[in-house]
Formats: sequence, C-alpha cells, structure tokens
Amino acid sequence: MHDRQVVRRRRAALAVLVGLSLVLLTAYFGESPGGTLHAIERGAQEALAPIEEGATRALKPVRDTIGWFGDVLEAKGDNEELRREKEVLQRRLAEAEVAARDAGELRQLVGLPRFTGYPAETEPVTARIIARSPTVWYSAVQIDKGSSSGIREDMPVVAAASDPEGTGGLAGRVVSVTPHTARVILITDAESAVSAQVFPDGANGIVKPEVGRPSDLLLDFIQRGRKVKKGDTVVTSGFRTGDIESLFPRGIPIGTVTKVDPGELELYQKVHVKPFADLRRMNFVQVVTRRGARQEVAEVKAP
Amino acid sequence: MPTPGAGARMTLLILLAVILQVSGLGQIRVLGGNVDLVALLVIGVAFFAGAVPGALCGFFAGFLLDAAIGGNLGASSLVLTAVGYGTGRYAEVRRPAHGLAPLAVTAAASACYVLAFAAVSFMLEVSAAVSAGVLREMAMTVLLNTALALPVFALVRRLLRPVLVVDPFERRRRARTRDAGPLGLRGLEV
Repeated sequence: MHDRQVVRRRRAALAVLVGLSLVLLTAYFGESPGGTLHAIERGAQEALAPIEEGATRALKPVRDTIGWFGDVLEAKGDNEELRREKEVLQRRLAEAEVAARDAGELRQLVGLPRFTGYPAETEPVTARIIARSPTVWYSAVQIDKGSSSGIREDMPVVAAASDPEGTGGLAGRVVSVTPHTARVILITDAESAVSAQVFPDGANGIVKPEVGRPSDLLLDFIQRGRKVKKGDTVVTSGFRTGDIESLFPRGIPIGTVTKVDPGELELYQKVHVKPFADLRRMNFVQVVTRRGARQEVAEVKAP
Repeated sequence: MPTPGAGARMTLLILLAVILQVSGLGQIRVLGGNVDLVALLVIGVAFFAGAVPGALCGFFAGFLLDAAIGGNLGASSLVLTAVGYGTGRYAEVRRPAHGLAPLAVTAAASACYVLAFAAVSFMLEVSAAVSAGVLREMAMTVLLNTALALPVFALVRRLLRPVLVVDPFERRRRARTRDAGPLGLRGLEV
C-alpha cells in the first residue's frame, strides 16, 4: 500500500514537471517578444549579467590555456593551406589595389562618400561576450552592452577573425535588448539566413548555416550558370525592395568561398563559405549601430 | 518541499553549474565538442538523491539555463527533467555502488540527453541543413562529460551529503550488515 503511494507520488511529480515544461514551451512560442515569459527571460539575463561578466573574466586564463592546445593541433594542418592562400591573396591584393585606386578616382568624379569596409553612416559599439549557448543547436551569445549604449534589436554584429591580420566579418544580429545586455543570434544558428552577394561575379544568394559545422556556411540559391569559384569573397547584399529592406546593410564581409558543389540535378549550386569571423573563440564583438537608414526592416527568409 | 538545507544546496549547485557553463565551459571546445556541466550536475544529483530530486534539479537547471542564454524556455527543462528522473530511477532500482559506476551512468545518461535534446530541437525549429559533424559534437560531449564525471560527482556528493537520506557509496559498506534504504533528500521523501 505504502509502495503504491510512493509510486503514485513519484509519477505525479514527474507528470507535473514535464507538464510545466510543455506549458512553458507552448506559452513561450505562442507569445509575442514583449510577453511575460520573454520579460522574465530578459530579467534573468539582466540579473545574471554581472555574475556572468565576472565569471567570463575569471575563466579567461583557463579558456586560453585549453584553446592554446587546440590551436597547436589545428595549426599544423592549417600551415600548408595558409601558404597556398597567401600566394592567391598576394595576387588578389595587387588586383584590389588597382581596383581601389580606380574606384577612388571614380568616386571623386561622381561625388560619392568614401567607403572602406563596413557600411557608411555606422558607428560600431564594442562589447564583451559574457555568455554563450552551450549547444550546437542554438547559436547565441550574450553581450555586456545594451540599449543604454545605443544598441537596438536587429542591428548587425561583427567579430574579428582568428588571424590577427585577418579582416573579420559578420557574426550575427541582435535579437533582444535589456538596458545593459543584449542577445545576439549568430549566423551559425539554425534559424539564421542572410542575403549575400559573391564578389567579383555579383551572384546573389542566401547564406545559411549547417548545424554541426560552425566553420562552414552554405550559400544557397546561386544559379548554376553563375561563375563562383574558391577564394571569392561573400558580403551582405543589403537588398531593398519597396518598403522591405534587409536587416543587414550592404557590404559587411561574411566569408570566403571554400568549395563549390554544382549539384547534378539541382537548379542551384551549393557554395560552401568559411566565415571571416572566428565565431567559436570570439571574446569581443562590435554592434554596427546608427545605420542611418530607415528602421522599418524585415527579416530575410529563405524562399 | 525540500528542507531549506537541501533546497539551498541544490540552488547553489544549479547556479554554479549554469554560470560556469554559459560563461566559461560553453566557450571551450575540445575536438569539436564541449562539456555540458549542467547535464552532468543533473545526472550527479539524480544519482545520489534519486528520481524526484533529480527531476526537480533538471527542471530548474533547464529553466535557468534557457533564461540565462535566451533559449526556448521549457526545452532544456523538458529534457533535463526526463534525464534526471530516468537516472534517479536507475540509481534507486539498481543501486549502483561501485566507485566507477558514475562513469557508466554518466555516459548513458549524457547520450540520452544529447539525443533527446537533438530530437526536441528538430521538432521545435531547426530548418537548416544538419551536418554529420553534429554526431561528432554529440559524441564528444558524451566523452567529455564521462571524463569529468568522477570529480563532478565527488563535488555533488560532498555538497549533498549532509542532506542525503542514504549515500549510495556508504550503503555499499553497510549493505552486508543491514538493509539499505531508499535514495532521497531529507524533506523531499515521496
């Protein structure tokens, strides 16, 4: 008799907890970003932020030490590949310098503002990453700057490259903001999709992640006829159609093409892109604030 | 309800694990994977305290983890509740008292956790392509959790010992002389 009661209570406890989890999940998905559960979430993030920031700083030596061992292992394999890339890049640098000089002259002729990398009329705000999602299924980080620093939802976020002399590039976008923290969904998140353009060909496509391979993005919807090759640069296309505008302004570097898979029976090529930003080990990011454009933006969704 | 002592200890452990996970361990990748300390904690608590405390720990740890990183509230709670309950029931029924039992229990429970979490993620919102690399990541998480099982279990045992109804490792020594009682936390017997 006593055993039956114990079993019943134990099962009831399990049922209550599982039921609560399902209710939470359903309510969370059903409510708007301004709803109660989202507010609780923001409150928890705001409350935990100082502790997370302290822990992030305190644990940095440990992370760096373990990261160093990983770097040594990876560096051996990367060395040969980097030598080849260096040769290609030296050639392309010479071409780019000529093109930049020509472009400068043309800009002067037509009176356009100077543009050297990130979009004009933006002011980057540097922030430290204080928390990071622990699973491969959900790529998000929390940063220690929020609305009090001028950060708003949907602002693009960029990060440095793993190579100190590298360019860095798009890391993600801000999805929620509290006064002193912000949550950033990375371009490797399963839900991410970024409209992009390949240079020099100019082909347009959508950059999407491949879950489980954070250093490899897929550039999809590139028609088979377009000439995309290894080493081409991919940047945000920043399209605007009527009132609909991409979340990301034009010209933020995303990555470099590493492999092109034509696909025998497919209409589109599958292009593999290695992100410029070191999304796995970044400690700081820059939020591209003050876009200078209208705020009516719409999320880019893959067709 | 748990006694204040048991509740405070569980809360402390959950807070510590979540903060360490999102601020430190989540950013350390070893051969493509990383340790999941929160899952490891839930497995440890369930191993020593049984099914209901394990499920409770899983629920609140999952809730705090999702809230801390802005994940889908309820997703981690659901999976960790099930993992905590399952591990706790195994410990109650089989009463593993061998010193290396945490390794086997952690390996099995971590594998269940990563698979269940993948299934929940698929059902919820994953629309992107999934690489085979995700399997390597999941396997690495299981391996790393197993490698860290003994020290984490020792810490959990040390913190929970004053409020444990029965310590499974102590029970091994006493089993010859008297019958072993059920697992649980004082004040949370069901």
